[in-house]
Amino acid sequence: MSGEIEISVKNLNLWFGNFQALKNINIEIPKNAVTALIGPSGCGKSTFIKTLDRMNDLVDNVKFTGEVIYKGRNILASDTDVVELRKEIGMVFQKPNPFPKSIFDNVAYGPRVHGIRDKKTLHEIAERSLKGAAIWDEVKDRLNESALRLSGGQQQRLCIARLLAVEPDVLLMDEPASALDPIATSKIEDLLHELKKDYTIVIVTHNMQQAARVSSHTAFFWLGEIVEYASTIDLFERPQNKRTEDYVTGKFG
Amino acid sequence: MARNRFVRKLNELRRDLIDMGAITLQSVKDVLTALETSDIALAERVIANDDKIDNFDRKIESQCVRLLALEQPIAKDLRIIATSFKMTTDLERIGDFAVDIAEEVVTMGKPIHVPVSASKFNELVADVKSMVADSIETYAQGNVQQARSFDTRDDRIDYLYRDIVNSMVNALAQGKCSTDTVSDVASLLYIIRYLEHIADHAVNIGNRVCYMEEGERVYLK
Repeated sequence: MSGEIEISVKNLNLWFGNFQALKNINIEIPKNAVTALIGPSGCGKSTFIKTLDRMNDLVDNVKFTGEVIYKGRNILASDTDVVELRKEIGMVFQKPNPFPKSIFDNVAYGPRVHGIRDKKTLHEIAERSLKGAAIWDEVKDRLNESALRLSGGQQQRLCIARLLAVEPDVLLMDEPASALDPIATSKIEDLLHELKKDYTIVIVTHNMQQAARVSSHTAFFWLGEIVEYASTIDLFERPQNKRTEDYVTGKFG
Repeated sequence: MARNRFVRKLNELRRDLIDMGAITLQSVKDVLTALETSDIALAERVIANDDKIDNFDRKIESQCVRLLALEQPIAKDLRIIATSFKMTTDLERIGDFAVDIAEEVVTMGKPIHVPVSASKFNELVADVKSMVADSIETYAQGNVQQARSFDTRDDRIDYLYRDIVNSMVNALAQGKCSTDTVSDVASLLYIIRYLEHIADHAVNIGNRVCYMEEGERVYLK
């Protein structure tokens, strides 16, 4: 793979109790690009991205081997500061999950947690983040309204703004548009094209066309393994593996 | 197997393209028979039959657009549709060249007398005919090996084309043509040009079959 690598995963295995959810995952995630993860339900995609910001630590009986190298260190190491890690590698979930607070407080939440108290600074961060998430124009006159009054698509972009406010490097997105209508979905997809200039993005999606539209690289997961990882155009135009071909053409899965 | 309806539609598309190939091939065979035997009626049938080829072209184009719009095909499914979409144009053009030859046959209205080697001309005709037949077969069978042979076969056709043109130009230059045969020479120059173009479209089809089967775009020419 040409270009700079943001995250390098080496021989990653992960178990929930006796169940092995990830098997010998090796993947290099390019910097300032969108990498899509596709595969049938239960194939390990979400488990994989949750490994990248150590969200799986919250699950009982989880154990893993291998390395996830980010900024020259193995983030799976026991001494990793996961709070600091999640500031650098943030996650957007399938269902928008704004806090039951004002729009402003949602975006200011992260910076406040990290000790920023100055109102002017918080306002600057909020404006920058909301602009970055392409929602500023829609909310700038109602920053004190409850975030729960926004539409689903707006809530999801607010959640992205909330992530941007803590200035991460990597955005992990677990089916960020699956609960949204086509217009809200296309806004998120347009946003991904903008965000990749400044961030590294990994997106899980069940929508093949979405993966094809937004990503430069795609990995096909199946039964906890990466069956094929290639440039998106290669994977969708000429997959090398029969299982990939059958999955992306809808012949199984 | 999921997506049964889509698979059925895709198979229909392939069958239609093969049927279009069959009637296009028949036009090529008929026009060359008409040329050989000065059969004006047969040449006129070739001209009339072109509507069928054009109708297939329009039908296949709309099938492809519909499948692209509604089914979002990927991987080999996508390549089959992309190949069919382009190949229908190749077949349509081959049909048009058969009509062009038929029109020359009708215009001449009699057996041609030209000062060129009959064996080379006959070889050119036979080669072009078999290239068209084989191109349709490669699509039907996904025969990449056969498709790859088109490059060399087309080189031979190009050689024969140039050789015949040179012979005719020399004959004209040396004043070997009577007033009658000069117009035959002019017609034949057109005809062999059309034959050479037909072979080029057969090569295109071969290239497209390689892409359809293996995903690599090849440009044999």
